[in-house]
Formats: sequence, structure tokens, C-alpha cells
Amino acid sequence: MADKHSHAGDDHDHKAAPMVEEITDYEVLEIAVRELAIEHGLFTTEDHRKFTEWAESIGPAAGSRLVAKAWTDPAFKARLLKDGTEACKEVGVDWAEPTGVGTPSDYTNFRILEDTPTLHHVIVCTLCSCYPRPLLGMSPEWYRSTNYRRRLVRWPREVLAEFGLILPPEVEIRIEDSNQKCRFMVLPVRPQGTEKWTEQQLAAIVTRDCMIGVALPRPGRTADVHPVHEARRPVHSASEHGKAAE
Amino acid sequence: MSVRSDVDLGRIALLEAIRREGKEWDVIAPRYGVTNPDPPWRTSLVAMCDCLAVSGALPALERRSAEDELTKSVYGEVSAPESELLALVHTMLSRGLVTEGDLASRMRTVRSRLEAA
Repeated sequence: MADKHSHAGDDHDHKAAPMVEEITDYEVLEIAVRELAIEHGLFTTEDHRKFTEWAESIGPAAGSRLVAKAWTDPAFKARLLKDGTEACKEVGVDWAEPTGVGTPSDYTNFRILEDTPTLHHVIVCTLCSCYPRPLLGMSPEWYRSTNYRRRLVRWPREVLAEFGLILPPEVEIRIEDSNQKCRFMVLPVRPQGTEKWTEQQLAAIVTRDCMIGVALPRPGRTADVHPVHEARRPVHSASEHGKAAE
Repeated sequence: MSVRSDVDLGRIALLEAIRREGKEWDVIAPRYGVTNPDPPWRTSLVAMCDCLAVSGALPALERRSAEDELTKSVYGEVSAPESELLALVHTMLSRGLVTEGDLASRMRTVRSRLEAA
């Protein structure tokens, strides 16, 4: 929808971002159950606002900054490996937010897993979906899936290959299982060709997947794009079979 | 490896009606050219889960265990985060934290409020 309006002393045309122009029952359901929960005293409006603002504020950029700083500042890296939770404050992340004692699933012992040329770490939560939210934001859907959680610990090389990460056999793969008391994040090996890069340049190639351990940072790779594997024996729905038979 | 929950896996009429509509974000967003990967209520849902855990009304591990069971059975065909919302509400109904009648009534009120000119 084209929109023309004036700001103070400024008259210009621009296009507003498109919006979904219908109210779905999912949207209505979320509001309705929240209102009832508040009315029943399960939590307060203030609590909800506080957690919503916190959830809106987190994302993987903090983790990227943390890794870039560790790559360029050996003293910081030493502090990070010694006490991850405390060192996070140096990149503006306080695990005690937003309540003063963190969230019920985030105030934890946070540990950095340092990769080497012969050791590669990957994080998972086999029990549910524990994730270092203060540093990486919301977990991706695939991280929460039972498929990833169950298969990674059994067939790590195969699962990593599905993400497009094929590691040579001489590289040991270590899976760290997160839990309610301990969270992990991977500190990948700084890639070659980045020797003179600034922290900002380095942070740009440390994507969320690199800090989970399902990808490796490299110059030019600044986004997590998962390869699409075509099914070798695709399964068609019954209706498609029916159409094909007609 | 998830913990078994005590959630009732029976279908709930109100939630079934919503599920059958098929209005998940990944279906309707492209229809309007919207590229945001998440519906506008997702953060609020996450915050609600945190609030319920903090208050002890619905501990995080119990909620996630119930969600695991529900999203691979009752809501197996629903994409996230709608499946997470349905699983949360299903679990709250199953535990008596809210009732289906109250919820249906409140949904009507909320919809008329949102649609008011």
C-alpha cells in the first residue's frame, strides 16, 4: 500500500511494509489465554511485559560479538573460559536479566566450548530445548525438534552433514547436552584469511549456527542457509496419487 | 529422551476447530507478502511460558515434555509456533488452569474487540 504523509518539515512517499490483513484465531487464542491466566493470578501483566521486552531484546548478535572479542583479545578469552557467565557482561549480556535471577530456564552455569583444529563441539538439549538464549536469542525450530535432539547424539557426523558440515574423520566431535543447570556455546576456530580483520568484521561471520556447532565460520559466509536435500524417494499424499491416477 | 508428561492427549473441540482452519503463519504470511518469519504474537507466547514457569503454575520442563508429546501426536501436522501455542493451551486446559468454556467465551470477546472499527 503506497503511503504519502509528512513528518515535521518533510514530505515524501514511501511504501509501508506489508501486513497480514486478517485476524487469525491463533492471534485471538494467544490473547485470550493470556488474559485469563492474568485474571486467574497465574502471573501479572507486569511480569509478562518484562519478559516480552527481554525476549524482544535478545538475539545472536551478542554471541557473535563474544566470539569475535575472544578471537582478538587473549586476556578476554582466558576470562571467558574461566567464568563464562561473568565474562558475558563485557559484551553487555547479564544472565541475571530480566528478573535479577534470570529466567527460570536461563539463569545457569554458562560454559564456553573451545574448538581446536582436531576437536569440534556441538550443543544440543536431549531433554527439551535448553539453549543459551541471552547470547543467541530464541532457539531455531530445528534445534527444538526431537529429530535433531535424538539423532545428533547417535549419529553426529551424519546429522552435521545434513547441515552441510562434513568434518574429516581425524576431527573428534563432542556433543554437549545442555540442561537446566548448565548452558553451553561453541567458540569456533578463527578461520584463516581473517588475520587483519576487525572485531566487527569477525562478528559478521560468526553466525548462530557456528555457535551451536552445526556450521563453521569462514570469510564470505554471513548467514545461516541450510542446504535443501531433495528426497530420493519422495512420499506423495493420497490425494496426489489420486490425481496422478486420473 | 524427553520426560513423559501426564498431559491428556484427547482432542479438545475448541483447539480442533482452530487447527482445522489451517491459518498458520507460514500459510497466511506469503498470501499478504509478509516476510517476517514469525507471527506478531510469538514473543508474547514465549514470555507467557516464562511467566508460567516463574510463578510455578506450569514448570518449563513439564510444559516442554507435554509439548513434545502433543506436537508429535495431536498437533503433528501443525507448524511452529502455532503447534507450540496449541500445546501450551492444551496443557493448561488439561491441568485445569483455564476452562474450555471460559476460553471460548473470552475468544469471542477478544475477536470483537480486535475487529471493532
